[in-house]
Amino acid sequence: MKNAAIILWALIKGSLITARHFFTNLWFHFLRLIGIKKYRPGAVTIQYPEQTKPLPSRYRAAHRLTKRPDGKPRCVACLLCATVCPSECIIVEATEDPDPEVQKHASRFEIDLARCCFCGFCVEACPEDAIRMDTGRIDLAARSRADLVWDIDQLSRGRS
Amino acid sequence: MAEITIDGRNLEVADGLTSLVAAEKAGISIPHFCYHPALAPEGTCRMCVVDIEGAAKPEPSCSTVIRDGMKIETRSPRVVEARRNVLEFLLADHPIDCPICDKAGECRLQDYYRDYGFFSSDFHEQKKRRSKILKIGERLILDRERCILCTRCVRFLRDVTKTGEMGVFERGDNSEIGVADGVPVATAYSGNLVDLCPVGAITDAAFRFRTRTWFLDPKPSICPFCARGCRVDVDVHPGFARYPETGGILRVRPRPDATPAGPWICDVGRYAWIEIESRRARRIVWNKGAAEAVLSGDKVFSILGAKIRALSESGRTDRLTLVLHSGLTNEEWADVKAFRDGFNPRPKIRLADPPDDGGDDFLRTAERMPNRRGAAEAGCDLQPLDPGELREDTDILFVFAGIWGDIGDLERRLEVWRTIRTKALVSPVLTASDPLFDFVFPCAIPYEKSGSYIGFDGRRREFTAVRPAPEEAESEGEILRSLLAACGLGARTPGGS
Repeated sequence: MKNAAIILWALIKGSLITARHFFTNLWFHFLRLIGIKKYRPGAVTIQYPEQTKPLPSRYRAAHRLTKRPDGKPRCVACLLCATVCPSECIIVEATEDPDPEVQKHASRFEIDLARCCFCGFCVEACPEDAIRMDTGRIDLAARSRADLVWDIDQLSRGRS
Repeated sequence: MAEITIDGRNLEVADGLTSLVAAEKAGISIPHFCYHPALAPEGTCRMCVVDIEGAAKPEPSCSTVIRDGMKIETRSPRVVEARRNVLEFLLADHPIDCPICDKAGECRLQDYYRDYGFFSSDFHEQKKRRSKILKIGERLILDRERCILCTRCVRFLRDVTKTGEMGVFERGDNSEIGVADGVPVATAYSGNLVDLCPVGAITDAAFRFRTRTWFLDPKPSICPFCARGCRVDVDVHPGFARYPETGGILRVRPRPDATPAGPWICDVGRYAWIEIESRRARRIVWNKGAAEAVLSGDKVFSILGAKIRALSESGRTDRLTLVLHSGLTNEEWADVKAFRDGFNPRPKIRLADPPDDGGDDFLRTAERMPNRRGAAEAGCDLQPLDPGELREDTDILFVFAGIWGDIGDLERRLEVWRTIRTKALVSPVLTASDPLFDFVFPCAIPYEKSGSYIGFDGRRREFTAVRPAPEEAESEGEILRSLLAACGLGARTPGGS
């Protein structure tokens, strides 16, 4: 009998919390509707993944290798990103570029997103603005670890 | 002796020293580009200026000889300002392409810019364009934009190798380093120009874009390619967590005390590992008739051990022959001795080295093997191998081929040895003769061993392994020890650790 009372009380308590959120949000929606407290939106349910929430402009999402005006990757394989990377998830191998003004480019550029901690140090370290984390891609789930190792083509594709 | 004061410290130094050397002896480092301890002072870069009491202007310390009672200030505001200005002028035409420069990380311009610079340049003119990838030697690439005209390379070729291929051409701000008449630098010591260059103007084609210098882990070793025994640093890459394949030797450089003549090594010592690495043997091979079988080391040793035991039981172990080379370390010679003494009658031991080349009159000795004296002192009654020998009196033959995989005329000797029942080759590299042996063992190269050599001058030089040998490869000494153990006779022979 005592147990039933505890269960009942817990149910009521839970419903009260839900009700409190409902009325608080209703109140905020109402204030917004009549033009007060515009900066404080009420909670809304987003139908993810059909709907997505806009990311903050500096959000560090999946990486992208930027391109020169002629379409070649900007990366000169200086390995500063691989040097600074705290999770050692970047592999770069350099090779000779036929263009003497470029001299050096990456023949292999891989990021293991399973290891990556999205700290953004690689973006800060890059002297050529060759890597950015502005793709906005946050849906990085994959079925195997190998699928999370992005090579130079996947990284160059950018927003996709 | 002269009494001088550097930065307020009273020092007593030998007469005739320059103030830069005197300061360095006192532990005060003075930045410099053109000065090099093994070359005559030139005084062109003006980075080493110091304040000397009584002098109107800062004086270059690399070419100012000390006098008694001299008072030197190496870090006064005037000196720091002067160095900053020197650096600004040097950087005025510098391309600042550090991201693609192989010198980055060990570049003096970078180091001194950190110490004296962090200025933004006052020069707004277009930087002068010069040739960037100029091949001036088999493995030398000159970038004239990066050059600061310290002339170290010119002076090295003029004063040390006395070949004088390079010079400064044109004048004023058109001055540039170049090779006379377009004839490339062909001296056998050309690799030293890369180490000498204080900036990234002369870079090594063999190291070009392989990695960045700050990943390298320099490991001291002794050059094993002749009897000179130059002290070298072997730069190995420790590899990354998910990128272990980068691990490996990437560069060999002389240590500051490489030879009494200066921090120089020859191009053989600097580059020979590249060919050896590309031909490296990594698997134990059993050539069983036409089919080539790959086995584990234990299995092969037990097969060979059984064969040797059979010889031993009929008292014919003198029909076991080891053909050795004098690249073994002194410690491995102790193993050879233990192996020899483990049998009665004793197996035959012969010495066969690749033929000597002439050497040269600078560093390279005529002996191509590093430890011929150690071999002579090992007490193994070594006799040189006669070309026609071993046809009749050998049943089991072990050939230790040395770092080049060559004992001189190996193929012709194999003709003679055709009738020998069991032949085994121990070589760090793959050779054309591999299929003619019954067993082929990969072995460690000298950089992967620890031990000592006795060089041409009778001095003992010790070294430690810079990295482990490939998985199936062992040093020659370890192979002999495993073999002795596999014969089941090891218990009778203590020693040979």
